[in-house]
Amino acid sequence: MQDLSFEESLEQLEDIVNKLETGDVPLDDAIDEFTKAMQLVKICNAKLNNAEEAIAKIVQDNGEIEDFNPNMK
Amino acid sequence: MEDDYLTVSQANAYINRMLKQDVNLQNIYIRGEISNYKTYPSGHSYFTLKDEKSQIPAVMFKGRKYGLKFRPENGMKVIIKGKIEVYERDGKYQLYANSMTEDGIGDLHVAFEQLKKKLDEEGLFDEAHKKEIPKYPQVIGVITARTGAAIRDIITTIQRRYPYCEILVFSTLVQGDMAAHQIVRQIRHAQQYDIDTLIVGRGGGSIEDLWPFNEESVAREIYACEIPVISAVGHEIDYTISDFVADKRAPTPTGAAMLAVPDINEVKYKVNQLNERINKSIKDKLIQNKEKIDNISQKQIFKNPESIYEIKEMQLDNLIGKLNVASKNIISENRNKLIKIESRSVLRKPEEVTKGKREQFLRNVDKLKILDPLLTLKRGYSIVKIDDKVISSVKDVKSGDELDIKFDDGTINTKVI
Repeated sequence: MQDLSFEESLEQLEDIVNKLETGDVPLDDAIDEFTKAMQLVKICNAKLNNAEEAIAKIVQDNGEIEDFNPNMK
Repeated sequence: MEDDYLTVSQANAYINRMLKQDVNLQNIYIRGEISNYKTYPSGHSYFTLKDEKSQIPAVMFKGRKYGLKFRPENGMKVIIKGKIEVYERDGKYQLYANSMTEDGIGDLHVAFEQLKKKLDEEGLFDEAHKKEIPKYPQVIGVITARTGAAIRDIITTIQRRYPYCEILVFSTLVQGDMAAHQIVRQIRHAQQYDIDTLIVGRGGGSIEDLWPFNEESVAREIYACEIPVISAVGHEIDYTISDFVADKRAPTPTGAAMLAVPDINEVKYKVNQLNERINKSIKDKLIQNKEKIDNISQKQIFKNPESIYEIKEMQLDNLIGKLNVASKNIISENRNKLIKIESRSVLRKPEEVTKGKREQFLRNVDKLKILDPLLTLKRGYSIVKIDDKVISSVKDVKSGDELDIKFDDGTINTKVI
């Protein structure tokens, strides 16, 4: 589950929430789903809180990648 | 002769009439540069159209200006379609502009419309072909000039809104003859990287400046690009072929960045909302189940499990009671029968029964005694018989018959005379 992208995590989380809110999920399954949802929330929050400054890089024609600061001429 | 003199008005009117008769002047195409451009409160605009050597006063009335596709400014090169007449009050001829376009772009407009029509007919603008822009991208590619406001706007907007994704810049010329070729090359180059969304564009400029984004080669490359493309060329009002063919059109480079990444605060809010919803729904579920359990455990049997035995014991007692009653009934019934049998007199006083019987017997014996013919004989009667037949009438006797006469104490034989 750790390998999920943020988008996938969020999508799965949304699916589970919708399922639990609307469907007649048996309690055992509901608890399993809930446990999974809690993990997903954790993953999402971890990804959101581990935010680093978005890095801008420039790709040269020869494929070399360098840091890029648009404010420096 | 006094009458040979014209008034000034007459002279100007005459000249005006002459000009108005000239077909060329009435329908003139003229090219030049705008200067002294001024719009009066009436809405009419006055300016001078000039070239290196010469100039002509010009006016564009308010009603003619609605057709303008740009805002005329000093220094602009324009082509004007109009007429030249005399402004009689001032005695000067001037250009009355009916329409005005930027010089040099007339051909471009035609080219633009032609290419747009062609690609549209080919289906390059079809909605069905447009790819969805990923909601939570990890890498954004940007194809634009490495210097300039566009790249700066894009990077700062992404960093502000969604500081998670990497930005890969592929620098290119964005104007001039070489630009289209470079843009095409960079779109191909970008597809070698793991990019979620590609922004292709540049900041504002004249239609010539934006022209590379109207090139067929660029349009086809954007169409073929496997990465979803957001086009961001110029300002809000500028539309290029790239905009039509891209998966999404942004009004400006900043707008493109906003389409490319979500707002971090909204995402955090969303995750929180989902978290709250999931907690609430599981809580509801648990409460629901607890109520069910409570409901069941409220039942007497679980509150008081011994009551199961109590009930059974009661049933057992009941059965035993019934059994007792039934057996008692059988016994008493039989006893009653016995008593009835016992109470019969024959059993109770057998001697009385025999006494009765003997008396009856004796009575019968007496009756028999009365009927005994022999007793009758004792009282003096006799019985007459012929050949052992009792004779009870004289008619049965005739003379000569031998009679046996039986007496109590013997029989005599005699003969009838």
